[in-house]
Amino acid sequence: MALLEVENLQTHFRTPSGINRAVDGVSFHVNEGETLAVVGESGCGKSVTSMSLMRLIPEPPGRIAGAIRFAGKDLLRMSDREMRAIRGNDISMIFQEPMTSLNPVLTVGRQIRETLMIHQGLDKQAAETHAIEMLTLVGIPEPKRRVREYPHQLSGGMRQRVMIAIALACNPKLLIADEPTTALDVTIQAQILKLMLDLKRRVGAAIILITHDLGVVAEIAERVMVMYAGRKVEEAPVAELFRSPRHPYTQGLLGAVPKLGSSLAGTTTRLAEIPGQVPDLRKPIAGCVFAGRCALATDLCRQYAPGLEEKGPGHIAACHYASKGAVAA
Amino acid sequence: MLSYILRRIVATLPVMAIVALFVFGLLYIAPGDPAVVIAGDQASPEDVERIRQSLGLDRPFLIQFGSWVWRLMHGDLGTSIFTNLPVSTMIGQRLGPTLSLMMVTLLLTIVVAVPLGVVAAWKAGSFIDRAIMGFAVFGFSLPVFVVGYFLAYVFALQLEWLPVQGYTPLNRGFWPWLQNLILPAIALGCVYIALVARITRAAMLEVLQQDYIRTAKAKGLGQGGILFIHALKNAAVPIVTVIGIGIALLIGGAVVTESVFAIPGLGRLTIDAILRRDYPVIQGIVLLFSFVYVLVNLMIDVTYTLVDPRIRY
Repeated sequence: MALLEVENLQTHFRTPSGINRAVDGVSFHVNEGETLAVVGESGCGKSVTSMSLMRLIPEPPGRIAGAIRFAGKDLLRMSDREMRAIRGNDISMIFQEPMTSLNPVLTVGRQIRETLMIHQGLDKQAAETHAIEMLTLVGIPEPKRRVREYPHQLSGGMRQRVMIAIALACNPKLLIADEPTTALDVTIQAQILKLMLDLKRRVGAAIILITHDLGVVAEIAERVMVMYAGRKVEEAPVAELFRSPRHPYTQGLLGAVPKLGSSLAGTTTRLAEIPGQVPDLRKPIAGCVFAGRCALATDLCRQYAPGLEEKGPGHIAACHYASKGAVAA
Repeated sequence: MLSYILRRIVATLPVMAIVALFVFGLLYIAPGDPAVVIAGDQASPEDVERIRQSLGLDRPFLIQFGSWVWRLMHGDLGTSIFTNLPVSTMIGQRLGPTLSLMMVTLLLTIVVAVPLGVVAAWKAGSFIDRAIMGFAVFGFSLPVFVVGYFLAYVFALQLEWLPVQGYTPLNRGFWPWLQNLILPAIALGCVYIALVARITRAAMLEVLQQDYIRTAKAKGLGQGGILFIHALKNAAVPIVTVIGIGIALLIGGAVVTESVFAIPGLGRLTIDAILRRDYPVIQGIVLLFSFVYVLVNLMIDVTYTLVDPRIRY
C-alpha cells in the first residue's frame, strides 16, 4: 500500500468573481521512501495541492474535497485535533520563502523545540538538546550559539537549513517541500538539495518536491507529476519523462530549459517558450485545459477533455494525440 | 541599552523645559486673577493689589517665570496660594488614589482588550468579530461620565454590589481598595479598551497573513499557541505603542472619573486648583503629568526591545 494516496482532490476557492478551481480532480500516490516531483508553471495548482495535503488551506474561502489517505486514513475526515497530531510529526513541510517562514521574534531553538515538545512530549531540556543535534545534522556551525539566535541573525541558506531541521525533527514519514530552493542562490541550492537527500536517506522519509526547476527534478526525483491548470496532465518515472514526454505541455516545459554551452557550439536558437497563459480557473473549461496554448490542438481537443491514459509502463498522460509511441513533434 | 536609557532620560530635560514654559505662559495669559479669588467678594481694590504684590504676581512675566524655574531646579514646586501647603505635599497626598485608579484601569484594559482583539482577528468577519468591534465603537463613543453614572446607578445603587463612591487606601486591605476602584476603572477604561482592542485586531490581522503563521500551523501547533505566542508577540509593537499613548487618555479621563466617583486624587485636585486659580498647584500637576508621559514613552521604547529582538538601541 502506498504511503499517501490522493484521490480526486479538488480544492476550490470562493472568490467575488466566481469559484476558482485551483485544484480540480487530481489523483496520485507516493510510496514509502519515494521522491515524487510535482512540476508546472506558476498558478498551475502545485502549491495549493501541497497545502491541501496538510489541510493548511483556510476554509472558507477554500474547500477541499476528495480523499487524502495517509497510511490508510483519510486526512480530510480527521478532526482538527487528529490533524494537528499529524502535522509536523508524520507529515512535515518546508516552504519556499526561508526569509519569512520563520517567526522573527522567537529564537531558532524555540522554533525547533516546539515540534519536539508537542509531538514527542519532550521536556524543555531534552528538546533543547535535540534541537542542537538537529542543527548539527543540517550543517549549521556553532549550533549551541545558533539555537539562542533569532532568524534575522541567519542568512537565507541557514534559515532554510533551520526549516529543514524543524521539518525533520520528529522523523516524518512524508516531507513536502514546496520550492525549497527557489529563493536561494545557486550554490546554496545545491547544498540544500544534497542535504535534503542525505537526510531523506537517513530518516527514510518520502518526499513530495514541488518545483518548477526541471534540473532539480532530474537530479533527485524518482517519479514526476506534471500539473497544468489545476489538473494532472502527465505522470512518469523521471528518466522516462525526460526521454519521451508525451503531453505537449511537458514537451513545452522541457523545451523551455536553456541549454548551457549552445552559444559556444554556435547553435544558438531562440529559447523555446509556451505561448499564452494559464486559463482563468474561475470559468468552466470545455475540452482539454491546454488546448488554448497547444500548437497541435484540433476541434476534438477543444470540445472533449482527454482522460488520463496509460501511454507506457508507469507513464500516463492526458492528451488525445499522445499515442503509445511518441507524440507528433 | 543602559546608556540608551540614560541618554533618553537626559533628553527629557529640554522637553520638560518647553512644557514648563508653555504651562507657565498659558496660565499667565489665562483670564482670572488669583488675588481676586483669595481676597473674596468684600475686598477693596487696594486689598487685591496688596495680595497680588505679596504673591509676586505684579512682577514682569520673565522674572516670575525665572524665579519659578529657579525654585523648580531646586526641587521646589512652590506653595499653594490657597492652602499655603507646599505643592509637592499636596500632590503627594493625592497621588495614591490616582495611581491606583490608573494601574487598575491599565491592567483591566490589557486583560480585556488584548484577548478581545485577538479573538476578533482570529474570527475576522464572523459574528463574534462584528459583535466585539460593535462594542468597541460603542465604548469609544461613550463619554466617561455617562458610563460612570450608569455603572454607579446599576451596580452601586440598584444592585448594591459595590460602593457608590469614595476611596480606601491599599493599606486597609486589598479588597476594600479594589472594591472602590472597579466601577471607576471600568468607566475610565471603556474608551481605552475599545482603542486597544481595535488596534490589537488590526495588528493581528496583518500578522496572521504572514508565512511564519503558516509554518506554525504546519508544525502542528494548536490555535492558542499560534494566536498568543507566534502571532501576538509579532503584533505587540503597535499594541504596546497604543497602550502607552493611551495613558495620556487616562490622565485626562481620570480628572472626570475622580469627580464622578468622588475619589480624592490628582484629578480632583486639578479641578479645584483651576477653579481657585491656584497657579503653583496647576503648574505642578501639569508638569508631573507631562513628566509621567515622557517616562511612559521611554518605557514603550524599552518594551519594544523585549518583544522584538530586531529592535536594538
